[in-house]
Amino acid sequence: MTLPSLYSRIMRRNLRRTRFKIGVALTTIIVILSIIAPLIAPYPSEGYGYVPANASERKLLPPSTQFPFGTDALGRDLFSRVLTGTRTAVIQAVSVILISLLVGMIIGVCAAYFKGLIEVTLNYFTELFMAVPSIVIALFLRLTIGQGLHVVIISLVIAWWAWYSRIAYVYAKSIVELEYVTLAKLSGLSALKIIPRHVIRNIFQALTVQAISDLGSALLEASAINFMGLGLPPGSPEWGVILYEAITERGIEAFLFSPWLVVFPGLFIFMTTLGFSLIADPLREDLDPRLRRRWKLWF
Amino acid sequence: MPVSLNYIFKRTMLSILVILGVIVFSYLLLMLTPGDPAVKWAGNPRGPGAVKAIELARVELGLDKPLYVQIANFIYNFLTGNLGLSIAYKIPVSQVVISGFTATLELILFTYLFSIPLGVWLGLYSAIKRGSRIDSFIQSLSIVLASTPTFWLGSLILLASNTFTGFLPYGRVSSKLVLSTGFTPITGFYLLDSLIQGNIPVFIDALVRIIPPALAISVYPIGVLARVTRTLIAEALLEDYVRAAVAWGIKRETIIRQFVLRSIIPPVIQISGLSFVYSLVDAMVVETVVFGREGLGSILLDSLHKADFRVTLALAVYLTAFYIIVNTLVDIVQATIDPRIRL
Amino acid sequence: MVLAIQAKNLKIGYMDEEEQITWATRGVDLSVEEGESFCIVGESGCGKSTLASAIAGVLPPHALTMGKLYIFNQLVINESERNYNGIRGKVVSLIPQNPGTSLNPFLTIGDHFYYILRDVKGLSKSDSIKIAQEYLSKVGLGKDVLEKYPHKLSGGMQQRVLIAIALASEVKIIVADEPTSSIDANLRAQILNLLSKLVKEFKVTLLLVTHDLASASKICDRIAVMYAGKVIETGLTSSIISKPRHPYTRMLLDSVPLLGSKKSLNPLPGEPPSLVEDFTWCSFRDRCPFRIEQCSVEPPLIPVEDEPHLVRCWRFREVS
Ligand SMILES: Nc1ncnc2c1ncn2[C@@H]1O[C@H](COP(=O)(O)OP(=O)(O)O)[C@@H](O)[C@H]1O
Ligand code: SF4
Ligand SMILES: [Mg+2]
Repeated sequence: MTLPSLYSRIMRRNLRRTRFKIGVALTTIIVILSIIAPLIAPYPSEGYGYVPANASERKLLPPSTQFPFGTDALGRDLFSRVLTGTRTAVIQAVSVILISLLVGMIIGVCAAYFKGLIEVTLNYFTELFMAVPSIVIALFLRLTIGQGLHVVIISLVIAWWAWYSRIAYVYAKSIVELEYVTLAKLSGLSALKIIPRHVIRNIFQALTVQAISDLGSALLEASAINFMGLGLPPGSPEWGVILYEAITERGIEAFLFSPWLVVFPGLFIFMTTLGFSLIADPLREDLDPRLRRRWKLWF
Repeated sequence: MPVSLNYIFKRTMLSILVILGVIVFSYLLLMLTPGDPAVKWAGNPRGPGAVKAIELARVELGLDKPLYVQIANFIYNFLTGNLGLSIAYKIPVSQVVISGFTATLELILFTYLFSIPLGVWLGLYSAIKRGSRIDSFIQSLSIVLASTPTFWLGSLILLASNTFTGFLPYGRVSSKLVLSTGFTPITGFYLLDSLIQGNIPVFIDALVRIIPPALAISVYPIGVLARVTRTLIAEALLEDYVRAAVAWGIKRETIIRQFVLRSIIPPVIQISGLSFVYSLVDAMVVETVVFGREGLGSILLDSLHKADFRVTLALAVYLTAFYIIVNTLVDIVQATIDPRIRL
Repeated sequence: MVLAIQAKNLKIGYMDEEEQITWATRGVDLSVEEGESFCIVGESGCGKSTLASAIAGVLPPHALTMGKLYIFNQLVINESERNYNGIRGKVVSLIPQNPGTSLNPFLTIGDHFYYILRDVKGLSKSDSIKIAQEYLSKVGLGKDVLEKYPHKLSGGMQQRVLIAIALASEVKIIVADEPTSSIDANLRAQILNLLSKLVKEFKVTLLLVTHDLASASKICDRIAVMYAGKVIETGLTSSIISKPRHPYTRMLLDSVPLLGSKKSLNPLPGEPPSLVEDFTWCSFRDRCPFRIEQCSVEPPLIPVEDEPHLVRCWRFREVS
């Protein structure tokens, strides 16, 4: 199935559902914001973390018409910072999932296709990396290679690819057993041709749905890593970082007395994650043909 | 009836191999990431003692020996819990991790005590009411719950508690109360310890302080279990044996209890096991930064500030091992209760 | 004679995701008398299982119904309304098609009997175990089976258990949907004979669904042949076998070596019509070597003179 036709089928089938519509709306808003945020942010440079010249006069101001989300402890406009964070959020979630999906798919499919020692080894590594906690990897990378977006992405990919590898392996296993794949092998077609043409094409839909439904979790984990001070440096336009700064500045007092510092960035994480999940949920149900039937407690 | 010993053996062997693999992986992290491994092992020391500390670390790791000897040595030290002293705490690394572990584990176990039943109940209820308003409400709720950032929710709960009750649930237990009642931890699970000692004030205090972080952590398991349970019940309702049971005149309650719920227990256990470990990370994130509790979270932060690579690597290995052990146990339990897998 | 089952113009359809309806039965008229063994025969997809589910009270929730269905004069399907109160397990029981998936893998065989007898008859555990043993011995199984989980039993044993279960609650009607389709061929006759012997012994009405005319002819008093969602011929077994009046029935008989006529009919290739759209012509027309102009109107069930035999074919006189 090609991507456009998959897309149009998904839309046709699900646009009737309110929850799906809300998800599409939320995600659309977030994606648009991620593109135009620097243009519409009232204080673009503060969005990127620069402390304004008149900072001392406007520290920790509550929300007002001038500063819709208030200001932070260094006097920066929180609205600009949160808005600018949208792009980072999308970049983090999408790149983590895309890289993990790609790596996991290749490894899972190879394990299923090549059998024997390759299968055992690849599955062993899959099993191993499924167990690795991203946050500790992030801590280790933070201690060795410093702060930055790459720390967030690498540590999440290390912890995440194996899940796709497992799923890809399970689906691919049932496909490589099919007759036409055996025939293709016997007819001398090379693995490089068979794998994309027959295997990946058939597991693509299931993996895509899984990937979409993981976007939200990727964002949650990425912002958690940043919230712990393990990822992006202070001042970065990232929601977890904004929360981290709010709390490290003055401990919990910071947000007991200036709750806007906590409420708004968290709300954006929540809305973005929610948007991804609302889109993914009906897709997952669609994947199971049995559940498409109108089951209910009928007796 | 005994579970197949063969199955348990195989599953356990694989898990042991994986745990060994994680130890090797963590050693390779130390060796292959930028920087001198000895400097890292010594905790990026500065000042007069630095050269000596680095030399000591070099000997400790055996960096002059071939790599495989170093790895074997490292594995041996790990398995004997002999990783040297923590840079940050100056006590043995394994002790550091284990003390933090009990605190965090208490929090998660407490969370799961109510999250699993609540999640399953929500899923069951919404499946039974399929298509109704309450069903779509529960479905939306479970998505919302699973999408909520734990650390954000935790902050809001703390804020709300402070605003509405004037009580700040900060820390695991009030230190004043500990001193005045002479409470001494035994197992490290404060709720359990205070009960054993009959120390009701401490028990209540610990309970009141564990509930807010537990609420924050609970959203993920509740949301996930509600959704998964609903799907599992949908699948169960489509089973031939449910249809047959209806035709035989078995009552609805019996079918739900004995036919539908029984069949979802093994997958529910499995999902709980997977999300349990996800919650471990969640707990590490909220417990210290938001709720000021000691635990793996505080250890993580201290390792960060003191560049304590030893504790970091130990955390990586112990947490992975914990994950593997939990999931191995889950698999074995699942095999025990599913009559089809019994041999 | 009391009628055990009576269907009047019963239509059952399934709605799919695209809101399209497949009409699995398109107007079935049927009367089954108390105590007889009645067979429904037809090829796969003709709506046999749907009819059996309707009688057993296990139509899925997405099934739509029209027409009427009576079970011992109780109206269970009244147009779109379905009400099986007091019927399931009390008057009608089911022997399902797949023994492997129709027993709950998490319960022992004894538990199956216990929950059924408790819920249907209010029996205690010990009483239900006693009754279970009795019926298990009737189907040739020992009491050791009670402790076992379904997956421990062979397919044949599972099917015997299902027969015992259906008999144990002392229902008046047993619906058996291809009870032997998933077990070894050499066991089939044995199980069918056992079933037919037991229903006679307990004076139970049997509604047997099968695609195998040969086995139907051995154990049934009367037969109804279905094609594309309708009964196309029904009558006493002997009369159907010796003098089939519908070309489709003849075709079915021809495919059974011992029952077929000497000069076999050559049906035209083809398939049953799609059941999604409505049609007014004879559903067998495309495959029928006898078809004439008149066949563009579907015939009603026409009585064959002086026999309790009905056939849905304009040219039934020429067919046999
Ligand atoms: N549960 C169901 N949902 C949707 N369609 C069904 C269902 N069961 C049967 N059908 C459809 O109804 C028609 C008749 O099926 P069925 O009654 O099972 O025939 P038979 O038992 O004679 O093979 C078929 O076209 C089949 O696809
Ligand atoms: S009615 Fe016509 S088409 Fe139909 S079976 Fe009879 S002869 Fe054939
Ligand atoms: Mg059938």
